[in-house]
Amino acid sequence: MENKVSYALYILQEPVQYLALSFMALMYAIKISQLLKKPFPPERAELKGDRVSGALHSLTNVLRPWDMESTSKHLYFYTEFMIFHVAVALTIGSTFLIPLAPQVMTPTVTAVFMLFMAAAFLIGLRRIYRRLTVPEIRIISTPDDYFAITLMTVFFGVGVVTMWLWIQGRPETGWMWLFFLMTTFFLIYVPFSKISHYVLYPFGRVNFGMIFGGRGILNRQNRNVTWDPK
Amino acid sequence: MQEAAERAAEKLGAPEERKWPLKPEFTPEMLAEMERLLPEKLKNRVVATSLAGCIHCGMCSDTCHYSVSIPEDKTLVPAYKADRFRKWYKSRFDWMGRIFPSFVGAQPLTKELAEDMFDKLFGGCTMCRRCTYNCPMGVDYGMMVRAARSMMQKVGRCPQNLQDTVDTHYNHGNNMAVPQDEFVETIEWIEEELQDEEGCEDFTIPIDKQGATYFLTLNPREPKYYPLTIQATAKILNAAGVDFTISSRYWDLTNYALFNGNDEDARLFSLWQVEDVKRLQCEYLLSGECGHGYRALRWELPNWVGGAPFKITSVMELMAKLIQDGKLNIDKSVHADKRVTYHDSCNIARSGGILEEPRIVIRAAADDFVEMEHNREKSYCCGGGGGALAMSEFSKRRIAAGRIKAEEIRATGANIVLQSCHNCTDQLKEIIEHHGIDAKVMNLAELVAEALVV
Ligand code: SF4
Ligand code: SF4
Repeated sequence: MENKVSYALYILQEPVQYLALSFMALMYAIKISQLLKKPFPPERAELKGDRVSGALHSLTNVLRPWDMESTSKHLYFYTEFMIFHVAVALTIGSTFLIPLAPQVMTPTVTAVFMLFMAAAFLIGLRRIYRRLTVPEIRIISTPDDYFAITLMTVFFGVGVVTMWLWIQGRPETGWMWLFFLMTTFFLIYVPFSKISHYVLYPFGRVNFGMIFGGRGILNRQNRNVTWDPK
Repeated sequence: MQEAAERAAEKLGAPEERKWPLKPEFTPEMLAEMERLLPEKLKNRVVATSLAGCIHCGMCSDTCHYSVSIPEDKTLVPAYKADRFRKWYKSRFDWMGRIFPSFVGAQPLTKELAEDMFDKLFGGCTMCRRCTYNCPMGVDYGMMVRAARSMMQKVGRCPQNLQDTVDTHYNHGNNMAVPQDEFVETIEWIEEELQDEEGCEDFTIPIDKQGATYFLTLNPREPKYYPLTIQATAKILNAAGVDFTISSRYWDLTNYALFNGNDEDARLFSLWQVEDVKRLQCEYLLSGECGHGYRALRWELPNWVGGAPFKITSVMELMAKLIQDGKLNIDKSVHADKRVTYHDSCNIARSGGILEEPRIVIRAAADDFVEMEHNREKSYCCGGGGGALAMSEFSKRRIAAGRIKAEEIRATGANIVLQSCHNCTDQLKEIIEHHGIDAKVMNLAELVAEALVV
C-alpha cells in the first residue's frame, strides 16, 4: 500500500508525531528517574528463594492467567484484557507503519489490525458499562478512569474506520486526520493520565517478584523442600 | 533462689516509662505533621509505586476477606480503602492531581479524609496482602498501609489497645508485662508438668542456657493463657534431642510495632532480641508458633537492625525438619478419629514463605487432613491479622470479616482447625463460635505432642 498524502498530513503524521513522541519520552524519563532515585527497601534476611528469578516470574505472570486467582476466576475478563492490550499495541504500531512502512500495511495485515481494533472497541464499550454499573468498580472510578477508557474506545472506533478506508486505497481522509490528531493528543496527554500505567507496571511487578521471590513463595521449584538455614 | 531474686530485680524494656499520647480525633496540627512526614515515606520505592500504580481495574475487589465477607459494604473493596491514602498522595505528588485534583480523585488531607483513612486502614485492612497477590500492578498493601498507619500513629492517632500493647512492650520488655520472676516460675512449673508426663521424666526447659543451639521465643499469651503450647513445643524439642533454651529476658517474639507502623519501636524490640541471643551465644533464633512474630523476626528484624549475626528459623520449619530426619516417633492413630484442616496465617505463608512445612508436620501426625478451598499463599486472612485483635473499636467488623474463613472451615468438615499463630487462634475461636461450627482450634505443636511416642 502507498501512503500518498498532502504535505499538511505528512506534517501531522511525521514531524508533529515525533515532537509529541519526544515530549512523551521526556515525561516518562522524568517519571522513571524519579522512581529509580527511590531506594528499594532492603532485604537483609537470609533468603529462602531467589529475588531475580522471582522478579522474572512476576514480570511474566501476565502470560500465566492461572497464577492469580483474579485472572483464573475471571478468564473472560483476562481474555478481554489481552485482546485490548494487543489492540493498543497494534493501533499504536499502525501510526508508525502507515507513514514509515506503508508497504507492510497490506490489506491482509490491515484486516488483522482492524479485527483487533473492532474487538477492543466492543471491549471498551463493555468496560465503560462495567465501570458505570458494577458498584465496587463505580465506587473506585474517577473522571480520569472514565475519560481514559472512553478515549481508548473512541480511538479504536476511529481506527477501524480509518483502516477500512486505507484498505480501499484512500490514505488521506478526514478519518485519517482524526486518527493522527488523536494519536498526537495521546502522546502528549498519556504521561499525565492513568494510561501511563505501563511505565509503572514493570516497577510494580519487579517489586512484587523481588520481595516474594526472595521469601521463597514464587517460582517454587520443589514444593516439598524444607528450608534448612545451615 | 539468689539468681531468681537477681532476675526479679532486673528492669527489662526501656529505662524510662512511656505512654504514647493518643488523640481521639485528628487536629489541624496533626494533619500538618502528617503532611511533613509523607515525603519521607515516599522514599521507599515499593510504597511510592504502590501509591502511583493503581489503575482502578477492580481485580482486587473480590480477593479481600473484608469485601468478600461483607459484600454489602462496597467501601471495603481494597482499592477504595487504599484510595483514602492515595487521594492525599495524589493531591501532592501526582502531576494531574496537582492541576485538576477532582479529575483524578485527588483530595487534600482534611480531618474527614484522615478519619476515613484511620477507619479503613486500621480497621478495614489486616495488611494480609491477599489483594497484592491478585493485583496485576503489584500494589503492595502490606507496605503501603503500614506507611499510612505509621504516619497516623506518629501524630497520635492509633487504636488504643494496639498502642497500649506496643507501650507495654516498650515499658516491660514483653507485650503483656509479664514480670521476669513470674515468667521464670511459669516456665519452671511447665517443666514440672512436662516431667509428670509418662516418658518425659528427663525432659527439661533450660532457662538462660549459654551456648544452646536454639533460642526459643514465645508469644506472651503462652505463659499467660496457653502454657500447654509451651509444654507441647518443649516436649517435641526434648524428644528430638534438640539443644534449646528460653531466655528469662527477651523471650517475647511479638512486635506490634509491625502493625502500628512505628519503625523506631520495631527496631528497638528487635535489638533487644538480638542482644539477648548474642548474650546466650545461641546459633539460631527460633520463632515459636506466631504469625506476625515469625515474620517480624525472620524477615523484618534483619532489615530493622541491619543484619543478624545468627540464623533465624521457626518451630514450624524445625518440626518439619525433625520429622523428615526421622527424629520424632509419631503415632498417627492417636488422631484417628479426627479430621484436621490447616489455616495458613498470612504472615507465615503469604508474607513468610512457610507453605509446605506445616503440611509435612500435619501429614506425619494425622491421616485425615483436608485442605481449605483457598490454602497456602492463596489462603484468606482469618480476620485477626494486622493487629486487628488489638483494635476493640473494630471488633464487630473483624468478626464479620471472618465469614469466608468460617465457611471454608465448615466445608472441610474438620473438627480440628490447626494454625500456627496466636492472633489466628483467638480469631478462629471467635468466628467458629459465631458461626456455630463444631471444631477445636489447636496449634501444630499440640497436634504433634499428643501423638508423640516417647
Ligand atoms: S491487604 Fe488483605 S485486608 Fe488489606 S485490603 Fe488487601 S486483602 Fe484486604
Ligand atoms: S487490582 Fe491493583 S491496580 Fe487493580 S484496583 Fe486493585 S490495587 Fe488497583
